[in-house]
Amino acid sequence: MPSQPDLVTFTVDGKEAQVPAGTLLIEAVKAAGVHIPHFCYHPRMKPVGMCRMCLVQVEGPRGMMLGTSCTMPVTEGMVVHTDTDTVAKAQEGVLEFLLLNHPLDCPVCDRGGECPLQDQTMAAGPGESRFVEEKRHYPKPIPISDLVLLDRERCILCARCTRFSDEISGDPLIEFKDRGNATQVNTFPDEPFASYFSGNTVQICPVGALTATPYRFRARPWDLEAVESTCPHCSVGCRISVQASRNEALRFLGVDNGPVNQGWLCDKGRFGFEFLNSGDRLDTPLVRDEDGDLVEASWAEALDRAAAGLSAAAAEGPGRLAGLGGARSTNEEAYAFGRFVRETLGSNHLDAQLGDGLDPRVLAGITPRAAIDDLERARTVLVWAPDLKEELPVLYLRVRRAATELGANLVVVHPRATGLDPVATHTLRYRPGAGTEMLRRLADGSGDLAAVRAALDEGPVVAIIGRPGLGDDPRLAEAVMAFAAGLPDAAVLPVTRRSNVYGAADMGLAPTLLPGRVANDAPGRDAAGILEGLASGDLGGLVLLGSDPATDYVEPQQAAAALDAAGFTVAIDLFLTPSAAKADVVLPALGFAETEGTVTNLEGRVQKVNRLLPGPGSARPAHEILEDLARRMGGSIGAASAEALAAEIAGTAPAYAGITWEALSWGAGREGIVAPGPEGSQPLAVAPEDHAPPPAARDLVLHQARVLYDRGTLTQAGPSLAKLAKEPAAYVHPEDATRFGIKAGAAVRLTGSGGSAELPVVLDPSLVAGTVYVPLHLGAALGAGLEISMEAVT
Amino acid sequence: MTWSRATETRAAAILARYPEKRSAVMPLLYLAMAEEGGDLTEDGMRRVAELTGLSAAQVQAVASFYTMYKRDGVGRYLVSVCTSISCMLCGGDEVLDAVADETGVPDGETGEDGLFSVEHVECIGACGGAPAVQVNYELVEGVTPEQARSLCRWLAEQRPETVVGDDLQERFGGQRSFDWGPEEAEGATGPVPAFGPLGTTGERS
Amino acid sequence: MGLFSPIAGFGVTLKQMFRKRVTAQYPKEKRVKPQRFHGRHVLNRYPDGMEKCIGCELCAGICPARCIYVRGKENPKDAPVSPGERYGFVYEINMLRCIFCAMCVEACPTEAITMTHLFEMSVTTRDDAIYTRSELLMSPEGDVPHPQPPSKLIDLDELKVADGWMRATAPAGRAAYEGVRGWTPTAGAGHRPPERGQSGDDGADGEEDA
Repeated sequence: MPSQPDLVTFTVDGKEAQVPAGTLLIEAVKAAGVHIPHFCYHPRMKPVGMCRMCLVQVEGPRGMMLGTSCTMPVTEGMVVHTDTDTVAKAQEGVLEFLLLNHPLDCPVCDRGGECPLQDQTMAAGPGESRFVEEKRHYPKPIPISDLVLLDRERCILCARCTRFSDEISGDPLIEFKDRGNATQVNTFPDEPFASYFSGNTVQICPVGALTATPYRFRARPWDLEAVESTCPHCSVGCRISVQASRNEALRFLGVDNGPVNQGWLCDKGRFGFEFLNSGDRLDTPLVRDEDGDLVEASWAEALDRAAAGLSAAAAEGPGRLAGLGGARSTNEEAYAFGRFVRETLGSNHLDAQLGDGLDPRVLAGITPRAAIDDLERARTVLVWAPDLKEELPVLYLRVRRAATELGANLVVVHPRATGLDPVATHTLRYRPGAGTEMLRRLADGSGDLAAVRAALDEGPVVAIIGRPGLGDDPRLAEAVMAFAAGLPDAAVLPVTRRSNVYGAADMGLAPTLLPGRVANDAPGRDAAGILEGLASGDLGGLVLLGSDPATDYVEPQQAAAALDAAGFTVAIDLFLTPSAAKADVVLPALGFAETEGTVTNLEGRVQKVNRLLPGPGSARPAHEILEDLARRMGGSIGAASAEALAAEIAGTAPAYAGITWEALSWGAGREGIVAPGPEGSQPLAVAPEDHAPPPAARDLVLHQARVLYDRGTLTQAGPSLAKLAKEPAAYVHPEDATRFGIKAGAAVRLTGSGGSAELPVVLDPSLVAGTVYVPLHLGAALGAGLEISMEAVT
Repeated sequence: MTWSRATETRAAAILARYPEKRSAVMPLLYLAMAEEGGDLTEDGMRRVAELTGLSAAQVQAVASFYTMYKRDGVGRYLVSVCTSISCMLCGGDEVLDAVADETGVPDGETGEDGLFSVEHVECIGACGGAPAVQVNYELVEGVTPEQARSLCRWLAEQRPETVVGDDLQERFGGQRSFDWGPEEAEGATGPVPAFGPLGTTGERS
Repeated sequence: MGLFSPIAGFGVTLKQMFRKRVTAQYPKEKRVKPQRFHGRHVLNRYPDGMEKCIGCELCAGICPARCIYVRGKENPKDAPVSPGERYGFVYEINMLRCIFCAMCVEACPTEAITMTHLFEMSVTTRDDAIYTRSELLMSPEGDVPHPQPPSKLIDLDELKVADGWMRATAPAGRAAYEGVRGWTPTAGAGHRPPERGQSGDDGADGEEDA
């Protein structure tokens, strides 16, 4: 327990109040219930005192002194006045200055109506300006990236955006240029503001200087409806505000959830709402006709067909059916899916992951499990995981904060350079497949790794562990977790990316688990086993819930073949994905912001998602579809609504006891409730072992990892993000390039375990020689195997 | 991109002086200018960014704040005329007009032939010898408009490789702030301040 | 009760017979409307043909009947529809819901929407009551379209009479601005003169000079 900070007593406008010593005056006064107008101050960034709007008077030995409350820490006995005539006059003067050059184009400004400058001018500003000269002019908005527009006329030079990109996200691509009256924010020529976090600058801009291209002129604040929810794009679970007008989602804004995202979002989350409005959304059921084409059908017809097909497959014997998916659903839908497959289909073959994640028992039951907020107290952070900047961007921001702002040691272990490397204390590189050896050396801590080991022995340690790439065996991650759990005062955060995969595991969507983190004594097949069974005919049918193995499975071609061979397939999805296109019946489901429920993030935090939109056509919530199917097959899931399912989960799943919608909707529950770990669960007993042949025997190994903007279904369904996906490339170490006689930009043919592709070469000295890196899901499918052969294409 | 070997060596020496690499940004910007004949190019700023670990935007932010980093091209001889208060009172504006007229280059611009750049500057610390003029940052004090004209004519005719302040003072200067200062042995070889570490100093011609 | 009480009541009737008649025989005859009459809306253009509407949705935001739907869009760079960055790409008014309060006119920052003197706009279907840009927007010459053809009732010239609100109101409500033109010219009508008679100097006059 941290010791209580010293309290200081001060007086604001005649009222006494107590705050911890060192609190900035602006925060202290807020705690005392007095609002001070401000522009440049942001509670999650360092104060600079640039806008001068937060002037207050403080009594001092030489009388009343005007000062900026955002740069003044409270001291014992301080007497502060915020409501004097002097303060009012000073603030009015500041506003008049800020408005000298600010154009009065509020009616066409995207910020108009929710603009701090507008609001504070109305509240504290002068009625008229004495400035009659021509205002400063610049060309109206210039695109500083594909997503952000900059209108320099509107800028009041508060430096929120430049400070954010420097302090918080660590990619200072925008800065103040020139001086005096010509001072302006801008990028370097030909270097756009291509930050993964650029949208945050739009949200924190106190005027309309930075606006977002996807939202430009789409609505005014007063015709937006909003609901608080949880971002559906990755497993960090950032709190967001979903905003829509006329049943069309128009933007997501970050909501400051202290323990999770602290107000920030990545651009994929922020601008990824567009898939909801996509014209490609399924809006009516599809069934396969005699000619083998998918044709539109009524719900009754489609459900009858689906039930008949599944019943026929089930009649062939027990365990003939399987379920894949649920990692993008709410907990309630996942729970309904689990009950449907286990009870109605009578099968334990269930998996929410597609061979690219971790053992579900680890996701659900690792101890001691870290929370994201433990990073605030950590002395050392070990990241042996996917590149957090690419896969879990807001977790990257939190780790970056720990390493820079809070001064924690940061050890990054990865096959190549990651986004965290510039702030890391130690970076270690290894060839995929040689991770066990790296772990052994790290545990040994001798020689050149002694300094790293010394850093790791400084507790408390937060270990963020996952699979850096497809080539890394999940058992390696488990071995790393077992090692990390033994470090002083350590807690482990097992990370994998797909949004609600933790909730799905908790809801028993895993061959080895039952709902509520309970082990299943009769484990079924995992994704690999299911696809194998479908291909061999051991399984007769499959139900897909928002899952696209033909694209997302580690061996996509193998999965596609298995789906082709499958006897009967029902797909419940938002889009006609390559997998759904192979199904016999496709049922359109409602997606994010169209259903209500809960989701669980990577630290086990359960948060609410809420409904705002009606959804396309006749699409329905997945749990209703499953209930209808179950009834037609002579069973029932039982719960009539998502809320009833939530109540059932809270009642039957041990880890979710007491986590009700009610509890998540009010007060502290809005931050989410971390589901407690299973009581008395034994720590992972995994010893480092050689689970793969030593890579030295091989010539080249393949490292495959995700990038933020890929060709995934949800990314490609929105125009703003779709164009950000890069062309696929092969990243080759310069030594290997010399060895193979290839140059940067030349084409090579790579052949892996599951396919072959011709790719342009990019030289990447951050790799260990003998490794080739290919980003996943950009169009090159090579399979999951480590082995790769490379030849120059002439 | 990289600079010439000599410049890279100087850059490494400058970087080595500072505990934080980013502290070297200002001397390195001068170095980038010296490398390009007085002009601070985008490539130059990019190289400084690489060397200091800053982003190019941050380097440009520094470079665009200070007027001595010339980003829009500069002539072989940069004539800076002080128009701050002391020099103004002693006729700095007339000197500036004379320079602009003689060179045919208006204040703040560079001639088409690239020989002269003319600018007015704020106080250059020579109030005692006002009005003061700098040629490639080499100081001449007590300059009358006529002397300024002949200075420009001399530069255009002689086109000296190295411009030395003491030499200019002898030829075209008048009243000096101090007459007991050390004699400067070295002069400037281009429109960049003559700093040894930048390699912008030359021998008296 | 007096002696004449039974017939005193007829006196009231008798008195009324000699009073000036108030009832107008609409539609046979039409009354002169007050200068600030609130008839149907029109979307104005500048004399150069540019639309005044910038699609800011302030009219829709202020509308107490929620009968206006506006959406803005980026002006095409080569052929801008309105001055500035944004124009009103969708503009609809549901005339069945409209209460003709002219709050939209007050809210409009560019004097794009004003009201005319025409109120005859009967429709046979509810859909027809929703006026879109094609019914609201004046032509570059200043002609205002109307769904119904001119008739004895429908005098299309009334569509060219702008309501006087804007011309009567001074910036920030200051008397010092009375008579000072603070508004923009309109296609077909030029720069409309100030409404006179604010200080009661020479009485109301509804004349327009174009």
